Amino acid sequence: MTADATRIRSLDDPTLFVDTPATIYDAVPPYPPRSEREAEFYHLRDGELLINLGPQHPSTHGVLRVVLKIDGERVVDLDPVLGYLHRGVEKICENGDWHHAISNCDPLEYVASMFSEAMPVLACEKLLDLEVPRRAEYIRVLAWELNRIASHALFVGWLALDLGGLTPILYSFIERDEIVEMLAALTGQRLLFNYLRIGGVNGDLNHEFMSRLGDWMSHAAEQLDNNQKLLNENEIFVRRTKGLGTLDRETALRLCMTGPPLRATGIPYDVRRAHPYSVYPELEFRIPTREEGDSYARYQLHLDEARESIHIIDQVLHQMPDGPVMAQIPRLIRPRPGRAWIAIESPRGQYGCFAISDGSDQPFRLRIRDPSYFNLQAVGVLTPGNLIADTMAIMASLDPIMGGIDK
Amino acid sequence: MLLSPPRARRDTTEIRVSTAHASDVMRTLHDDPEFGFDILADVCGVDTGDHMQVVYHLWSAASPDWLRVIVDELPRDDPRVPSVTFLWKGAEWGEREAYDMFGIIFEGNRDLRRIYMPPDYESFPLRKDFYLADDAPRSPGQGFRHMERVHDPSTATPDLLIRRSKLR
Repeated sequence: MTADATRIRSLDDPTLFVDTPATIYDAVPPYPPRSEREAEFYHLRDGELLINLGPQHPSTHGVLRVVLKIDGERVVDLDPVLGYLHRGVEKICENGDWHHAISNCDPLEYVASMFSEAMPVLACEKLLDLEVPRRAEYIRVLAWELNRIASHALFVGWLALDLGGLTPILYSFIERDEIVEMLAALTGQRLLFNYLRIGGVNGDLNHEFMSRLGDWMSHAAEQLDNNQKLLNENEIFVRRTKGLGTLDRETALRLCMTGPPLRATGIPYDVRRAHPYSVYPELEFRIPTREEGDSYARYQLHLDEARESIHIIDQVLHQMPDGPVMAQIPRLIRPRPGRAWIAIESPRGQYGCFAISDGSDQPFRLRIRDPSYFNLQAVGVLTPGNLIADTMAIMASLDPIMGGIDK
Repeated sequence: MLLSPPRARRDTTEIRVSTAHASDVMRTLHDDPEFGFDILADVCGVDTGDHMQVVYHLWSAASPDWLRVIVDELPRDDPRVPSVTFLWKGAEWGEREAYDMFGIIFEGNRDLRRIYMPPDYESFPLRKDFYLADDAPRSPGQGFRHMERVHDPSTATPDLLIRRSKLR
């Protein structure tokens, strides 16, 4: 079903219709369907209605536009429309050198950018067969785990905010701000750190960072428990998340999901253990899983993971070796021609990078695999049959970050 | 079935297949309990300058290595590969992205339309014959780039135009 023009009832004369030129912002696209699925989606049966959510809607976590097909208050189907934040990072990376790629990849996952900036770094190190000093590896793990806790804290706040609770996000921000200020003392920036370097990290641990970290460590676990008390047995929260957006294992695997949404179905796939990188093999931690696979399980899983991260940070601080934090490498990097694939576990799932070098100082191809891009696809499976308001709850429980999704 | 013998480097094993065998190979890797590759880590397109490739990365609990499957030698003017959405529905968006960026047609994908670029957009941005504006970030070591040397693509020879991978 296509519409060349949209008919709008005139405000002056109710019997009069005005034809306005159709644009791509209309509910039904003004061009013939481009795929089988699009034809099916924009064909409305009796009583069905299309509504547009976003791209400027606060509960879509960025600039995601979702076209909802509803029947009454129930969602029948939905079609996410991406690209409002597309910057072409992969293309820009191909045109800069390897060092440029770090700051280009930084804003991909803007609430946990320590992970997205690791992509070109680790890929290039693998192409170069470079050994990173052990102290640098430990500092990286420390920064990653701190950032994971900050991101998970924010997730809890966002989830509650999308369900209408305003208080939890204030507490989340207290916790997150402590970590962000700590990382700012370490890296010089609050959000887009640009801290990792090919061959190490930019700068050793400093006094301010360590004293902030010490302060935070003394009450981190306690603070986590307190935040949890606010939501765990809150009846509104529990009833709006338990049993909602339930995924089973096979569907989650078929949907290429990773990270907390996959582990909430009971599959213990965590890249830190499934395919260890950095110094994770030397550290002791569990992979928390849940069996239920619903929004509540995903929420609980995030808290469990934050607790494990505190445990990892504790070990890292005890085992931190001395030594340099940068390998001796030339400023101009020309990896030998080759391909490299690396994957790390970000707060949202498996962040991957496939890099091809052609022997020049620019990446020939730098493919970034973003976990929230693949996880977001699940809303198409999870939301149909639920109420419109629950669409937000389900989407928030998948924790999408549009910076990475739109690249 | 394979175009060349498997290659292993560090923690990745690499196999190359042709388009004709791509879906059989992927089905075997996914369904055969001996392989058990049930996690599709990534699907992406690559333009080597001479031809197109589709690259899959797979993970299995049965093996410690990543498996990279390269569907090789797709012609640049009409790249077509069978879709893997019948095994992993989640590959749908990955394939949509590869279509959007490279123009690779995934046969059997029910939703093959542009995902990032607007619907009326016509070119494929990640192809090597797509140039950025001249003020794009440049690297100090590369010297003159092809893009700068041949400022007018219409008068340039195709060899100069495309950055080619020296990789085999």
